[in-house]
Amino acid sequence: MTATLVETEDRRAYRATRRRDLAVDLSMTLATILAALAIGFVVMLATGKDPVRAYEAMLTGPLERSFRVGRWLEDATTLTLLGLSVAIPFRARQISLGAESQLYAGALAAAMVAIFVPLPPVVAVIVPLVAAAAAGAGMGLVPGAMKARLGANEIVATLMLNAIAVRVYDYLVNGPLKQPGSTAVHSDPIRPDSALTPLQEWFGVPLGRANTGFVLMLLTAVALWLLITRTPLGYRIRMTGSNPDFAEYGGIRVPRAIEWSFVIGGAVAGLAGAHLVQGVYGRLEPGLAGSLAFEGIVVALLARNNPLVVVVAGLFYSYLRSGGDIMEQQTDVGTEIVVVIQAVIVLLVTAQALPDLLKRRIARRQAGVR
Amino acid sequence: MSSVLDVVLSSAFLAAVLRVATPYLLAAFGGLVAERAGISNIGLEGQMLSAACTGALVAGYSGSVTAGAVCGIAVAALLGLLLAALRLELGADAIIAGIGLNLLASGATAYTVFTFLDDKGGTSGLKSGTLPTVALPGIESIPVLGDVLSGQNTVTWLAFLAAPAVAWLFYRTRFGFHLRAVGEMPEAAASVGIAVRRVQYAGLALSGALAGLAGVFLSMGYVSFFVRDMTAGRGFIALAAVFLGGLRPWGVFLAALGFGAAEALAVQLGTLDVPPQLVSTIPYALTLVALAVYAWRRKRRGAGEVTAASM
Repeated sequence: MTATLVETEDRRAYRATRRRDLAVDLSMTLATILAALAIGFVVMLATGKDPVRAYEAMLTGPLERSFRVGRWLEDATTLTLLGLSVAIPFRARQISLGAESQLYAGALAAAMVAIFVPLPPVVAVIVPLVAAAAAGAGMGLVPGAMKARLGANEIVATLMLNAIAVRVYDYLVNGPLKQPGSTAVHSDPIRPDSALTPLQEWFGVPLGRANTGFVLMLLTAVALWLLITRTPLGYRIRMTGSNPDFAEYGGIRVPRAIEWSFVIGGAVAGLAGAHLVQGVYGRLEPGLAGSLAFEGIVVALLARNNPLVVVVAGLFYSYLRSGGDIMEQQTDVGTEIVVVIQAVIVLLVTAQALPDLLKRRIARRQAGVR
Repeated sequence: MSSVLDVVLSSAFLAAVLRVATPYLLAAFGGLVAERAGISNIGLEGQMLSAACTGALVAGYSGSVTAGAVCGIAVAALLGLLLAALRLELGADAIIAGIGLNLLASGATAYTVFTFLDDKGGTSGLKSGTLPTVALPGIESIPVLGDVLSGQNTVTWLAFLAAPAVAWLFYRTRFGFHLRAVGEMPEAAASVGIAVRRVQYAGLALSGALAGLAGVFLSMGYVSFFVRDMTAGRGFIALAAVFLGGLRPWGVFLAALGFGAAEALAVQLGTLDVPPQLVSTIPYALTLVALAVYAWRRKRRGAGEVTAASM
């Protein structure tokens, strides 16, 4: 009897700690965003701009017209998928910077199938998606296996693969895959059956290039959340990330968990590539990914690598991005300020000591009260 | 194939190698110093970019190339210090903080240029001048070598002198000894009275300054303007050279020179019938292979101590 009493008390205390930490995490995230926006405000003020007008355009702009909403959702889909793709290896404490190479592999695979292979409807959408995920996973396996089996530095390996993938992609789009007879550099269009349905057809309002890839992204996030929190593999990945020595001691094959985290992340980045090809551009364009791959890292960081929170962070960050474009059109403030704000967010988020200091102080104060 | 050989053996090509390798060499030495001090400097790219931008702007507005170069290098050194402060004072992950610094540099340089010059692309509208070249008397008369060396930029000479300088710093000076000790095992270094943090701050400032010199070369070496994101990944490649070179000055020197040579070759082969994009992947593919081989050999020696923390 007494034992159970103690247990429930422990449990209650544990839950209270969890709640408190969550509250601190949430308020820290909010404070981080506000601080970054405040710094952006000061920068604009210091450079002789009108920050109030600029922020007004940036923060209300994306919702003003339906096609702007579409632009936001389309951007959020790619960005969130990229955020999810790094969040998984990050959970295993693997600093994978290879989302770019995996995205290009996925885009190429999806395009090859969607352009050249005639397939019946529905299947024509699914097969390129699967091909893209497989190609991305294969691209992720290279640094994953190198790290897991040989202990090779994953940062260097992923950076090298990015450099290679970008160049090979550039060669293919400018060379063998270039649309014959076209003056502009891009591939043939994909077959209409392979296109992801535009959301416009569902809602009946102009939503630009936003497409069902958005739904696919949401499903992917939920699936990854279930994987991480509810499956043995997810448990192994989390344990590997929080304490590899203890995980090894507990019988987890750490190298395997590391490898899987890279493969899963790669598959998701491959889907991001497929979304760009099948949903957004309908063909291969040069420089498809832009700087999105590195911005995906920011999204994952802001969400502390929790797949469901990555969706929120991705939506938030794309909102800033599309708002930044509108701000640039309507005011004299350049969209680059958004990148500065984003960078400040990264630097504040990575300053681990800040929230820990706060949590410890709160815990100490509560302990003092009791 | 003989035309490829003609290209490679020409003195114009060798001169191009020295020129193209310059930013790689300097940034790689910057990365090396930071790495040996125990803090990875992923921010090389951003430090180069900030220095390139600051250099061109200051030189353009003050009319002094020297002032531009000094300010550019100073800004990059400050960014190195900022990275050290984030790591040491706020417990930040050095890699992620470095990514943040790169983003900051990319956004802030573009924003600054746009604010000052109302130009999205760069500072081509601003006259900023180039750093002087070195003219050694009589060197032009030496066959081949004269063609290769004459007219090279001061910074190129500095980049090549940096290799012996860094080697001397690491292995012949007190500071270098302390730096290596701190990077190897900070607790042990602290226990014998080395001021660990001070050494790391100094190391990161030096690292940033070297990257800054590389950046200044980009915007004031052969061209006299800053272009948005003109570093184009060179900082990351330099970082790869650091690891490929086995964290040793002369190894890093050879690796960075190799990257420079490969890039120069890719440019030259563009005139022939070989796709330049594919040629330019060679150094990265080689790095990947070298990384695997290096790790495999170390693993065999170390009887397979692979954990998530091992690099």
